[in-house]
Amino acid sequence: MNQDEKLNIIKDILLTDEREFVSSIEKKIKILEKTVNEKGNLSIKVDPIIDIKLKEFVKEIPNNLGPTITEALKKEIADSQDAVVEALFPILGKMIKRYVQHEMKLLSEKINTQVNNTFSFNRFFRKAKSKASGVNESDLIIQEQSNTKIEQVIIIEKGSGLVLAKFSKNKMADEDMVAGMLTAIKSFVEDAFTKESQNLQYIEYDLYHIHLQNFSSFYIAVVVSGAYNIIFKDKLEDRILEFTDKQKITKTLKNKTSLTKKLEEFFKNDSI
Amino acid sequence: MIVSKKIVLIGHFGVGKTSLIRRFVEDTFSEGYKVTIGVHISKKTVIISEDQLISLIIWDLEGQDDIKKTRPTYLLGTNAFIYAFDLSRPVTFENLKSEIHFLKKNYPNTPLKVVGNKMDLVNKEYLKQYNSIFNCLVDYFVSAKTGSRVESLFYKLAIELI
Ligand SMILES: Nc1nc2c(ncn2[C@@H]2O[C@H](COP(=O)(O)OP(=O)(O)OP(=O)(O)O)[C@@H](O)[C@H]2O)c(=O)[nH]1
Ligand SMILES: [Mg+2]
Repeated sequence: MNQDEKLNIIKDILLTDEREFVSSIEKKIKILEKTVNEKGNLSIKVDPIIDIKLKEFVKEIPNNLGPTITEALKKEIADSQDAVVEALFPILGKMIKRYVQHEMKLLSEKINTQVNNTFSFNRFFRKAKSKASGVNESDLIIQEQSNTKIEQVIIIEKGSGLVLAKFSKNKMADEDMVAGMLTAIKSFVEDAFTKESQNLQYIEYDLYHIHLQNFSSFYIAVVVSGAYNIIFKDKLEDRILEFTDKQKITKTLKNKTSLTKKLEEFFKNDSI
Repeated sequence: MIVSKKIVLIGHFGVGKTSLIRRFVEDTFSEGYKVTIGVHISKKTVIISEDQLISLIIWDLEGQDDIKKTRPTYLLGTNAFIYAFDLSRPVTFENLKSEIHFLKKNYPNTPLKVVGNKMDLVNKEYLKQYNSIFNCLVDYFVSAKTGSRVESLFYKLAIELI
């Protein structure tokens, strides 16, 4: 049995309710019945008896056969736990990952209120913006809900979390600290899932979406306000790939000034 | 020119890593103890000369009684380590030698400062007791509470990193 088949079995156990089970068997039997009738091998007299027997049989399936099937599956799962875990891992992995992301968000907020000094992502972002634009915070919140916008793009060195280049539309949170925090969160989450070598691709901070795109020695974080959906994500991904390709940025990684200039030119008029 | 460097503070629980950073970055201190969970990032830009600035991106890690338990990915790309211990609590420096050895072995080219904190809580007599440990291993005796030598610790490190 391969992973997909195993997964299907588990899905069946979890999803199929008994009535469905019965009715599907019933359907199958009806087809069978029809075939038998058409072949004319059975006399009309026998049919009613078969009918009654069939009805009884079908009715008894959940009682007689159901437990047996469940038992067999249970045993199968118990005997091949590793295979089941393998099959379920990608699904569970994603769920746990979301959970960890959420926890990390709470955690970093907790740290911020505890230490009560430097850094709380969402408040920080908004406060800085509010100050810079002179619009009050609650107005900003409403505004932010509507249109999707790239607020900030940061190219970050993997590992150290140091900023290689940055571009912000408005006055946003300090890039150096955002980059450090993102890198720490990324390390934490990715460490937990080394098995899959998955990359953390997205973090949500209240009204901001942080899109993360990985390259070999660096990654790019894009802070987005407004609605962030699959369509936007796809366009953004393409746009970033276009940027890294066209600008040959792997060659300018060491030159912060020139890289920053390229980043700004590329993203300042974006209308994704 | 402004360059950025990653500084990582490590050491046992409650030795005063967060307090040292707060003293340096904001020049404040509080008696209350709030455990650091995960990592906390702060930043301070130090002026070395008129045309030379350096931004220290400081990673404040949660305390660990054994350095080997530290998440290695947090230490990647570090430009300098500050290893802090609590002068008033011998458990925090009992294994100092092996902790330092671990860092020097795994990060041989990364500058490391070994710092005894809470200098305000101990006297000369007390320090003498541990002469054998302190003499050869410790770079700075500091106090986050009084601020003694905290600025100079970070400042000198910044200069070394340019
Ligand atoms: N007297 C005195 N107390 C200090 C000094 N530095 C820190 N403390 C106190 O020691 C306790 C722990 O300080 P923290 O800075 O939170 O220690 P930490 O190393 O960050 O702790 P973890 O995050 O749990 O690893 C707090 O109650 C501080 O007020 C110091 O120089 N002198
Ligand atoms: Mg701390």
